[in-house]
Amino acid sequence: MERLFEALFKFRPLLFAEGDLTFTSPWPMALLVLGAAAVAAAAVATYGTAGGRTSAGDRTVLATLRLAALGVLTFCLLQPTLVLSSTVAQRNFVGILVDDSRSMTLPGEDGQPRSAFATEVFGAESELVEALSERFALRYFRFAGDAGRIPGPEALAHDGTRTDLASALDRAREELSSVPLSGLVVLSDGADNAGRPLAEALVPLQAASVPVYTVGLGAEALDPDLQVGPVELPRTVLQGSALVVDVLVSHRGFEGRRVPVLVEDGVRLLVQDTVTLAGPDEPAIARVRFTLDEVGPRRIRVRVPAQDGEAVAQNNARDISVEVRENTRKILYFEGEPRWDVKFLKRAVEDDPNLQVVLLQRTADNKFYRRDIDGPEELVDGFPDTREELFAYEGLILGSVEASFFTSDQLSMIADFVSQRGGGLLTLGGRNALAEGGYGGTAVEEALPVVLEQSAAEPRRAYTEVKVTPTPAGRSHPAAQLRTDQETPDSLWEALPVLSTLNRIERVKPGATPLLVGDTGGDTDRIVLAHQRYGRGKSVTLAVQDLWIWQMHADVPLEDLSHETFVQQILRWLVEGVPERVELRAELDAVEPGEAVRIGATVLDSTYLEVNDASVLATITDPTGATESRLLDWSVETDGLYATELRPDQPGTWTVDVSAARGEEMLGAGVLHIAVGPSDVEFFDAGRRTAVLERLAESTGGRFYTPETVGSLPEDLQFTGAGVTVTEERDLWDMPFLFLTLLGLLGAEWTYRRLRGLV
Amino acid sequence: MRPFSTVLTAAAVAVFGVILASSSPEISGDGERAREESEAAISAAGVDRSPPPRYSFFASPAGLRLPSAPLPTEALGPVRAWNPQEPQEPGGARNSQDPDGVSPLPEVREFFFTRAAYTGYRGRGGWGRRPSWAIDYPEADHHFMTVLKRLTNLDGYDWDNAIRLEDPELRRFPFLYALEVGYMDLTEPEVRGLRDYLDAGGFLVIDDFWGMREWDNFVYNMSRVLPGREIEDLSLDHPLFNVFYDITEVRQTPAIGRGVNGRPTWESPDSKVPMVKGIHDDDGRLMVVINWNTDLGDAWEHAENPFYPLEYSTYAYQVGVNMVVYGMSH
Repeated sequence: MERLFEALFKFRPLLFAEGDLTFTSPWPMALLVLGAAAVAAAAVATYGTAGGRTSAGDRTVLATLRLAALGVLTFCLLQPTLVLSSTVAQRNFVGILVDDSRSMTLPGEDGQPRSAFATEVFGAESELVEALSERFALRYFRFAGDAGRIPGPEALAHDGTRTDLASALDRAREELSSVPLSGLVVLSDGADNAGRPLAEALVPLQAASVPVYTVGLGAEALDPDLQVGPVELPRTVLQGSALVVDVLVSHRGFEGRRVPVLVEDGVRLLVQDTVTLAGPDEPAIARVRFTLDEVGPRRIRVRVPAQDGEAVAQNNARDISVEVRENTRKILYFEGEPRWDVKFLKRAVEDDPNLQVVLLQRTADNKFYRRDIDGPEELVDGFPDTREELFAYEGLILGSVEASFFTSDQLSMIADFVSQRGGGLLTLGGRNALAEGGYGGTAVEEALPVVLEQSAAEPRRAYTEVKVTPTPAGRSHPAAQLRTDQETPDSLWEALPVLSTLNRIERVKPGATPLLVGDTGGDTDRIVLAHQRYGRGKSVTLAVQDLWIWQMHADVPLEDLSHETFVQQILRWLVEGVPERVELRAELDAVEPGEAVRIGATVLDSTYLEVNDASVLATITDPTGATESRLLDWSVETDGLYATELRPDQPGTWTVDVSAARGEEMLGAGVLHIAVGPSDVEFFDAGRRTAVLERLAESTGGRFYTPETVGSLPEDLQFTGAGVTVTEERDLWDMPFLFLTLLGLLGAEWTYRRLRGLV
Repeated sequence: MRPFSTVLTAAAVAVFGVILASSSPEISGDGERAREESEAAISAAGVDRSPPPRYSFFASPAGLRLPSAPLPTEALGPVRAWNPQEPQEPGGARNSQDPDGVSPLPEVREFFFTRAAYTGYRGRGGWGRRPSWAIDYPEADHHFMTVLKRLTNLDGYDWDNAIRLEDPELRRFPFLYALEVGYMDLTEPEVRGLRDYLDAGGFLVIDDFWGMREWDNFVYNMSRVLPGREIEDLSLDHPLFNVFYDITEVRQTPAIGRGVNGRPTWESPDSKVPMVKGIHDDDGRLMVVINWNTDLGDAWEHAENPFYPLEYSTYAYQVGVNMVVYGMSH
């Protein structure tokens, strides 16, 4: 199409887009127009007065054709000209950025590696480079996870473990900022996996009017191929926690095939499942559950064995780092009255070494009973009245205790416990809980995931029995499980006895997720279990008053562990991921040897406010046991964040121990593990991302090419308008299109006359 | 309100049941006969076997069974003497009167003082034909609940709640009180029912049995329920003794008529020393509390009696409160 356009109009569409149209006739424009008008008027008069056998219609057609021919002729006499800004030869630079990542070793559409195109077409001896070199000074860059200058594409090794397009564009722009730059050429498959928004790099390019020309390499889809999608796991889990993972398996070319899905911890197989692959646009999902029992940094691999004939086998496995901790999470359970759920909740978790449920129970007015406290001073004054005291817990369970028991500051503290400290709040149902406890309008209500309806004057009037069933979200949610080894079957839920509630909870707040609902036998179901994020933490409401029935009821077999499992699961999930006072996070949880990774430590004080004047010391231990200590600097942009960059050079597990202090006060400590080793991240979603490359080109005024269309690149670069340019005029009056049009009009007139017998 | 003729009929049936039970020629552990005997006794005590009210709404005011005489809704108010010919109102756990409200409400309560109705040897001299499980019933239960609610902020059911050990509904009440276990003679269904109850997490308090002969009978029955489990002494540093009140000594609480006018608090020479013992589960959790050589029930029942020493009543209520609070939190 573009060639046809060029044959008709002399130049490619891009030149028309870049240039301006003007008329350069030596005669005055007005004179030419007047002359044309006079000739046109004469023609109309001549045709209008012609007699003979002609009809009015014939005269109209013939006059129109003649006027059109005169118009074309007049346009040519005006000498239309395309004015272009053409780069001055050898005065401008062009940066050529070549993808050096591993995905470039994948086969392209012609069966050759994608990298072969870069070497052949952009190599030193190629025609394209010769054409470019005639006009531009070329500067080559390689890019993968980082970017740098190279003498030419022959120097590429294609062993980069990541692709960071944004950083590559930044680097090239900065390096060529002092020279006239006509544009940047990017040769890549566009499979950016650095996670940095591309828009960050586009803005400075747009400001500097530097067009980016992208050359997309490789096919858009690998066929046949099978890929395991991203797997979400918490960074830290308590030992023995049951995890539920949805494994998404996408494919092309394996319709109908049943493939196994394996979850492994090192050489140990944790669980295996099987999925049947549907159509290419229908990813299959395998829901697997497993338990992590071994403490320490674990590298969990989720994989599907390679299938025959697969284009890429490396994208069949995902590795996820998980820190399995055996430390005890401390939960404060404040109950306003003697209740059976106290006994049975405590019993359910007493064998769990990772949960310490400290009980504070009001047994009479101003009389409290404490259980499982760490020392005689703990909770000696009742419910905590300082943030330091409350924030020492990771979880908080509020039972049947009326809001009026608390001071206003304590209610705010409870809300802050979730939003600021990042703790987990579990509110139980009961006669003095939720709306019936007067929590409407308090700070705690804001944290709740449920909407508090108007309370009944007598809670017993709101009494309803509920048959508990999971919602679609609850079926796979770890907080709503009765089994740890498999998804809870519906039959198990159905077999459980009904519970009851005194709190009318029928709606969840926007953003909250209902996990369990209760069938009342009426029109409206009750919300039994719901949760939401609230600030840094999570808030959960369990709006029944007799969960213990699932343990005691005669219909529940004695050996059944549904109650224990349910309580353990919900409490473990409640405190999972609750931040410490020193929280460590790495930009990447796994890197290749030599790859840089940025490590950040968030430091908080005892009230969980960010500390900017701490002394933060990191001790880095490599896989051989050698250690290095360094102080982390406050990042300035973010309160409480201290950062450093680590470049591990040996494969294995690197450990970063961080301790933070302010003066004599010890603020806390944290540990982080980084897996260093070969990475297959480049082989995921490795098809050409045309949309990314097109957006990059279009938003900077450049153009997207395929290997088939890249031949026009030298000419396109010549007229970008960027760099040192001169004005160049190209005549348009001799466009074949005009000649053909004129010929066509005159021919049409003659043919019309012949057909009508007018000659 | 129930028509008068219906009340008369119920009373006649109850009397007939008690007479029938008392005419049995010998003490027997035979399951079926013992069960019938127990049922008749429960019936005589006004206990029906409809589903417990905690889990069902009362249909209408017409279904209410109001007491035929003023009930001891105030702590330690006047209590009627046991008369097997006059079924006790409000009818055990099936009392539908709610002292807190004027209209029927679902009997949604956290705590029911549940009394174990078990099969036992028939009555002994001094308190008629009353079955051994029903001693002090229901006055002791009423009095104890009244005081318990006054001393704690427990959401408790005001009345009594007797239930048979083999009744599956027993599992809805994790606190169970049994007394006079020296006359206990459990049937196999009762043994299974109590065993499952305790294994599921139920908490049993034993009271009012004296001397070695009754001890041996209790141990025999309990060994059928929990074979292989040891009975251990509970020392005063056990949380049971300080969970609510600080109990600093184990005192002997006498039955009515004892401990005054120079009479001893014990009932036989081999029951002079009161003891609190316990049975634990595999995880070391206390599931049975045994009050031996003491009678907490009488102290609760006769607390208002000016001839019953106040010190014993006070002590008995303190121990009782501790047992309930402990049972609900451990």
